[in-house]
Amino acid sequence: MTTKLKIDGTTYDVTVDEDTPLLWVLREYLNLTGTKYGCGAAQCGACTVLLDGKAIRSCATFLKEIGDKEIMTIANTTDPLLKKIQEAWVEEDVPQCGYCQSGQIMNATGLLKANSNPTEEEILAEMNGNICRCGTYNRIKNAIKKINAGA
Amino acid sequence: MGLSRRTFLKNTALVSSAFIVGFYLPVKARADEGAKEILHPNAFIKIDADNTITFLMGQAEMGQGTYTALAMCIADELDADWEAVHFQASGIDPVYNSVFGPWMLTAGSTSISTKQLEMRKVGAAVNEMLKKAAAQKWDAALSDIKTENSHVIHIKTGDKFTYGELVSDIKTMSIPENPELKALKDCSLIGKPTKRHPSEAWAKVTGQTEYGIDVRMDNLKYAAVLHPAVFGATIVSFDPSEALKRDGILKIKQIPTGIAVIAEHWFQAKEALNHINVVWDKGEFAKISSEDIRKEYDALLDKPGASMRHDGNTAKAFKEAHSIISADYEFPFLAHAPMEPLNCTVHHTGDSAKMWTGGQVQTVYRNVCAEILGLKPEAVEYNNTFLGGGFGRRAAANADYIKDAIYTAKDEAWPIMTLWTREDDIRMGNYRPMYKNKARLALNQYGDITAFEAKVVGQPVVKDTILGFLFKDGVDWAQWDGLTDHPYSIANHDMQAHSPSSPIPVLWWRSVGHTQTAPLVEGIVDEAAHKAGIDPIAYRISMLDDLRCIKLLLDVQRISDWKNRKKEKNVGYGVAIVKSFGSIVAQVAKVKVTKNDFKVENVWCSVDCGFALNPLNIENQMISGINFGLAATKYSEITIKNGEAEQNNFYDYLVTRISDAPDIQVSIVNSGEKIGGIGETAVPPIFPAVANAIFDATGKRYHSLPIKIS
Repeated sequence: MTTKLKIDGTTYDVTVDEDTPLLWVLREYLNLTGTKYGCGAAQCGACTVLLDGKAIRSCATFLKEIGDKEIMTIANTTDPLLKKIQEAWVEEDVPQCGYCQSGQIMNATGLLKANSNPTEEEILAEMNGNICRCGTYNRIKNAIKKINAGA
Repeated sequence: MGLSRRTFLKNTALVSSAFIVGFYLPVKARADEGAKEILHPNAFIKIDADNTITFLMGQAEMGQGTYTALAMCIADELDADWEAVHFQASGIDPVYNSVFGPWMLTAGSTSISTKQLEMRKVGAAVNEMLKKAAAQKWDAALSDIKTENSHVIHIKTGDKFTYGELVSDIKTMSIPENPELKALKDCSLIGKPTKRHPSEAWAKVTGQTEYGIDVRMDNLKYAAVLHPAVFGATIVSFDPSEALKRDGILKIKQIPTGIAVIAEHWFQAKEALNHINVVWDKGEFAKISSEDIRKEYDALLDKPGASMRHDGNTAKAFKEAHSIISADYEFPFLAHAPMEPLNCTVHHTGDSAKMWTGGQVQTVYRNVCAEILGLKPEAVEYNNTFLGGGFGRRAAANADYIKDAIYTAKDEAWPIMTLWTREDDIRMGNYRPMYKNKARLALNQYGDITAFEAKVVGQPVVKDTILGFLFKDGVDWAQWDGLTDHPYSIANHDMQAHSPSSPIPVLWWRSVGHTQTAPLVEGIVDEAAHKAGIDPIAYRISMLDDLRCIKLLLDVQRISDWKNRKKEKNVGYGVAIVKSFGSIVAQVAKVKVTKNDFKVENVWCSVDCGFALNPLNIENQMISGINFGLAATKYSEITIKNGEAEQNNFYDYLVTRISDAPDIQVSIVNSGEKIGGIGETAVPPIFPAVANAIFDATGKRYHSLPIKIS
């Protein structure tokens, strides 16, 4: 069946089984490969995207659950907060292998959209679902702390 | 020989059709000698007429910062506009080979130590040629010419050429054999803290980096593989009929390691795996659990093993000892679990093939592909992508996931990406081996160590691999590295190893042998310090002759304010120092122990890698190694039950998360000694530093990993 998806300001029609996780729709049907597969079990956060501004794990969110909600991915080029976070990531020299960073950045975007000035505890609690095997956590913390999301 | 240039041209032409019209130097004097002594700037630098400068990278980028560091070497000497340079993974060619053998290799923290000088010379040679070309055009003296930001400039007139404008002039020039390198004080990049190159960093924060899993092409199909749960199990029969009825399923076939399902989309293939009925012959290993392996290893510990080091008279030293310390150690199997699940894309087109993956051993993977498909190696075009983490896993000695992809795509019309699930990654082996070790120290009346005995039991890692030359006299590199060559001055040694076999494949894991030798050596030396009643740092210094180690311990003592550390309840400080991969790292960990748990609150880390080529990346790699090592210190283990790994995914194979990350302070000591490695060197000391800190906090020694507070 055909489903309409609003992703990063563009509307797509996809013909795919609605029991398919959003992750695979993005990656293989729309070739939006910036969103990553890491575990397929909502354990690592590599697949994080925003759904109406809230961070979700796209590997465990099925197409039928999306409805007309807006999807924002790492490929978004217009969101000012996302841009600011990406700049902070580069400035703090966060990425190493880089594979988890799409998910880290989208999760941080969700966090800062809801809470523009999180405490250290809030950062740790909100970011704890995102694994980075390169261990860039210290840099991630610094980057998030440096962003003045309200400005 | 003479092969290099031709295959190089062919490979790169396939990757980038622009290459041949760019800067290309005919390589002279290649045919009759080995590649080592000759500069091949053309293999590393591409300059287009529009002044676009691209560096071709033979080393794989898996997060360790090699692209940036090697590019700094070229760009600094070349005087290239740093922000504007581009990167491209090279094809396979002997000019990129490792110093260790006839293949490309990114492992052992060797990229910078073995390649930096060559890269500097390459940049300097081309710089010299560009200046010469401009001098001829202007009829000027070389002393009137300088280079800056990818331009040659006439100092007196201010006239400029872009490098691109001089490409046709330098094409026919001979390559200077010994170009003059910049003095360190004149370098703008080398030795300066330099962020990951903006082109790489921006691609990574915007999701545009192409990893193996992101390769896309016309008519691409996807495959998932049903693997046996029990190590060594084989297929008796299988019925794919139910699975074949499902949407998108194109083909199901048996391959050596299991059953491959090829589908229009990967999720369809993966879901179909649950609908294949398989009759397995589970084999003998189905009777084996971790407890059985433990018993087998314990029995071996009681028997004499292959000698790793034997000097002096340990029997006499132990007989005359004032006191003796003995300890038993156990370290579990460990998965690498890089964030990008393992994958490889292969297109078999009859008499040739193409493959795409992010690999640490490009030549080996290419050759495996050629062998399986019955092709000459040159008939396989290998494309290396960025790696979503490696840690040794993407240098698979048995090429397991690569072979899955090759067998799956063999004789098929489509290009096929074979992608492992996270469960495959955790359960299919190629683990850091399980070890059971034993060690004893003899101490004299002053507390000095007079003898060191050790026995290591664990599956060999390098035996029968491309690094097989490191398996000697029945002893594996991963068994002795860091143990037989520990830095302390001790007169008598008896160190032995046993190499049990198992159907569980094992593999080098970030920092290899040091993962089991560092917790042993730095754990038991800490026990000796305590027995002697001497401060752990002062004790280590008293047992050391190695000045670099002594200086580094003093440095970590200073940055951790060790002497003023406060005695708080349930809080402890531990120190460790490990020489690995040509560098030395000393760490102090501060740990807070609670009821059944502990938190590493701070790590102070001093590193001496001889010369810090990119201090910022060294700091990043220290942070990375500490957080990576903490996972195995606190959480990660693969255990075996009835022949299967008991773990599946990140919910039961636990790794470090952001809330576990300690505050980390790094201090770099530039000793000026030979440049060493960095990527793996922060991992080994964190195991013992934490264990020693927990002892300081609780009075209890934890010899085994992961540490479970009891």
